[in-house]
Amino acid sequence: MTTRKKYILTALGGVLFGIVLVLAAFYTSSATSTNESCAACHVHPRAETSWKQSKHYMNKSGVQTDCAECHLPPKGTASHYWEKVKFGLHDIWMYLTHDKEDFDFESKRTEEYAPNIVFNSSCKKCHTNLFPEDITDDGVAAHLYYEENEEKLGLQCVSCHLDAGHFIAGYKHEKMTTAPIDTTGPVYTEPASVTSFANFIETIPGTRASISMIAVPGGKFMMGSNKGDKFSRPDEYPAHEVTISPFFMGEMEVTWNQYWAFYVETMSEGRTKPEVIYANNSRPDVDAVSGPTPPFGMPDQGWGMGNRPAITMTHYAAETFCQWLSLKTGRHYRLPTEAEWEYAARGGTETPYFFEGKPSSYSSQGLWNSIFGTDTTTINRYAIYALNSKNRTQEPSRVAANPFGLRNMLGNVMEYCQDWYAEDAYEKGSANTVNPKGPATGTDYVVRGGCYNDDASELRCAARRHSDYEAWLKTDPQNPKSIWWLSDMKGIGFRVVCDAEN
Amino acid sequence: MKQEGMSRRHFLTGAAAVGAAAVAAPALLASCSGKDKLTPLKKEGEFYVPELPDKAIEGKELKVGLIGCGGRGSGAIINLLDAADGIKVVALGDVFEDRLNDVRNRLINERQQEVPQENCFVGFDAYKKVIDSGVDMVILTTPPVFRPEMFKYATEKGVHSFLEKPIAVDAKGYRSVMATAKQAQAKGLSVVVGTQRHHERRYVEANKQIQAGMIGEITGGNVYWNQGMLWYRQREAGWTDMEWNIRDWVNWKWLSGDHIIEQHVHNIDVFLWMSGLKPVSATGFGSRQRRVTGDQYDFFSTDFTMENGIHMHSMCRQIDGCSSKVSEFIQGSKGSWNSETNEIKDLEGNVIWKYDEEKAKQEFQQHDPYTLEHVDWVNHIRKGTAHEEATDNAISCMAGIMGREAAYTGQTVTWDEMTQSQQDFLPEKLELGPLDLASMTVPVPGQ
Repeated sequence: MTTRKKYILTALGGVLFGIVLVLAAFYTSSATSTNESCAACHVHPRAETSWKQSKHYMNKSGVQTDCAECHLPPKGTASHYWEKVKFGLHDIWMYLTHDKEDFDFESKRTEEYAPNIVFNSSCKKCHTNLFPEDITDDGVAAHLYYEENEEKLGLQCVSCHLDAGHFIAGYKHEKMTTAPIDTTGPVYTEPASVTSFANFIETIPGTRASISMIAVPGGKFMMGSNKGDKFSRPDEYPAHEVTISPFFMGEMEVTWNQYWAFYVETMSEGRTKPEVIYANNSRPDVDAVSGPTPPFGMPDQGWGMGNRPAITMTHYAAETFCQWLSLKTGRHYRLPTEAEWEYAARGGTETPYFFEGKPSSYSSQGLWNSIFGTDTTTINRYAIYALNSKNRTQEPSRVAANPFGLRNMLGNVMEYCQDWYAEDAYEKGSANTVNPKGPATGTDYVVRGGCYNDDASELRCAARRHSDYEAWLKTDPQNPKSIWWLSDMKGIGFRVVCDAEN
Repeated sequence: MKQEGMSRRHFLTGAAAVGAAAVAAPALLASCSGKDKLTPLKKEGEFYVPELPDKAIEGKELKVGLIGCGGRGSGAIINLLDAADGIKVVALGDVFEDRLNDVRNRLINERQQEVPQENCFVGFDAYKKVIDSGVDMVILTTPPVFRPEMFKYATEKGVHSFLEKPIAVDAKGYRSVMATAKQAQAKGLSVVVGTQRHHERRYVEANKQIQAGMIGEITGGNVYWNQGMLWYRQREAGWTDMEWNIRDWVNWKWLSGDHIIEQHVHNIDVFLWMSGLKPVSATGFGSRQRRVTGDQYDFFSTDFTMENGIHMHSMCRQIDGCSSKVSEFIQGSKGSWNSETNEIKDLEGNVIWKYDEEKAKQEFQQHDPYTLEHVDWVNHIRKGTAHEEATDNAISCMAGIMGREAAYTGQTVTWDEMTQSQQDFLPEKLELGPLDLASMTVPVPGQ
């Protein structure tokens, strides 16, 4: 055989081998993209039953959309194969190392998590026409908004169609017709009589709602963090001494029962112009405030009402609640200042949390903890956070109070303060150390305490956050956007404080 | 749009161009040497250039229905018959029998086409009956407030539409048209809008120059429709409120959208068309001085901020005894174009391009844009190439709506707010009966 012939044969062999390899790869890829293949590891039956109830299975056309058509980028793209390998390895690892009973299916079907496992490019590959023939006017409005803001606001199909692939009972079909108000117990006729500086139960006249108020003694404390404190951020510096006068503070975050009492009495007609509301509520002689418009869908996210913290209200709504409560009771209720909030949260302690333990041992951040797990024994008693919340708020009875007797100061939901947020508020304001009120103006408000899906490091008493209305209302297609309800932030609520001058 | 193969004619022109280039090359090189090369705003093929032959291509017979037998409707149906052979008018619809009969008789006398009596429909639901009568295509020329519903119905039934402008007068109508336009596109329908400048040779040619970069980047514009008073109808005995309103429709904002949309949308549309920009906000004013009937304004003056931050100013007036001006002016970084003179000037004021009317006259017989838009409409239908102009026109109408609301309220009105507004002018009950005329008052800004 000549060298030339050998060369040709080798080349031919190479080509043949290449073809076989490609065919094998193609076959493997197809075979591992079937529903059966997915179900081999994804053994949780709820995924399948909810899929079969969803529009992607149960529809007029009888066409079914399979797992890989949504949970991988479109076929034929490079990212399809890349994600396939990535997910495949991850899924096999999880299958081998985790117990399926521990799998929290509910927490995966949230607006926050779903975009990690549903590819927008895949949605759009099939749904090329966002304006099908039977679309409603609301649908057209929403899709025009989507097309114009998709990139700017990072909108995804699942931001609004979370139930498209897996059915969620009450996700969208349910609309709140009447406020789910508590009708047990007596209707109060008088506000509480408060004669001394002690805990009391505020009874809201004309409603069945009451609020447990804790007398928080005045005192001095160190506000903020020192550089070098684990997980501290620059906006917490410098730690500085602050003096706080006595005040009353709600034992718990304002509950749905309390919030609906407010809503029923103050509800504004849908689409009332914000200016009309602002004008009415800021009149000095106002005797009846204008409150929230009806919410879109169920604002409790289907998690339950009752004593769970009311959520998804705007800062203005929270302030209006206080205004209403003040009018009803004749006492001055308001949101806490940031300093009051931190003072109350610390409850006289000087540690990162009001309970024992270090952020570094509770946090899931860092290689060590992510591999070997975190210590949860103490924090579990006091706070609802990422590791024990099942990705939703929980009843306040689940946690123990802090030394002042306040529950859920850390975790469950973030709480609005009355202060404007500024990163350098402590640096600039540290001279004013008696009942500080924060910067004179700003664009976002301080929110504190972390929420149910936060890491333990966000629950430190000193950790500061702020509202972000653009992001928190990004899927609200109305213009002007709602001044009452947030469309894209669920872990926010508030608690009230009451002045104690007399 | 479907890519079409090179026709013989294209080929010949191409060959001629090569020959001409060979001859002109040295001169061209010399003249180009010192100058910047033009940077196109859009490359050829990236923007729509209608083919505008004198007459539509031959093809299968097309059945057309006319809905809205007023002045524009009777004009449009004749334009269509001029534009193409093999068109049969098979159905007519209107709310008023007298207007319908006018058109029917005109078609008999002038075009020897008799629409069968059983296909003449009178009433608010006449549009459905016309569309359901087996037509291929429909001309929609009722007062504009009705356009979105009719366009939607025609598209559902797979019927090609000619939409007289404007095609939306309120936010809800805008959204409806935007959705229907997508559906028409999906169905491969041909939808042409009566903003006939898109089919007027001098505008089409100017647009080619502008897209080729002759005036540089567009930096702003002014558009005008200033004219004398428009027609009106006084109420006659025996007319219901609804009948009076519809017969006098150009004076009632719920029907016409006011003249900043009804008429001036032509000019606003030219700027949006050539710049490819949408407005983000509008601030403006207007007032009523002379109108006799209705609840509309006599003039508007509006400053639009476009999405890239440049401004376009629009003015429109319908008052007798004042100067008239109906035109568009676009300023660019290297020059400007004016539709009044059909010229492009550089920044020193030298004319660097002018529409060659003589050449066009030698090349074509048909120059009437109202006929040419129907040529284009029929050609798309007969070739089976999908084409829709409703999306772009709806956006122009929305600009007009923003301008109107800015003047009516005295507030700055934004795109985001207006496109999501619940504004809906169509009455719930459509019948020749009473209307709440007392609520139809002339808007007062600042209140």
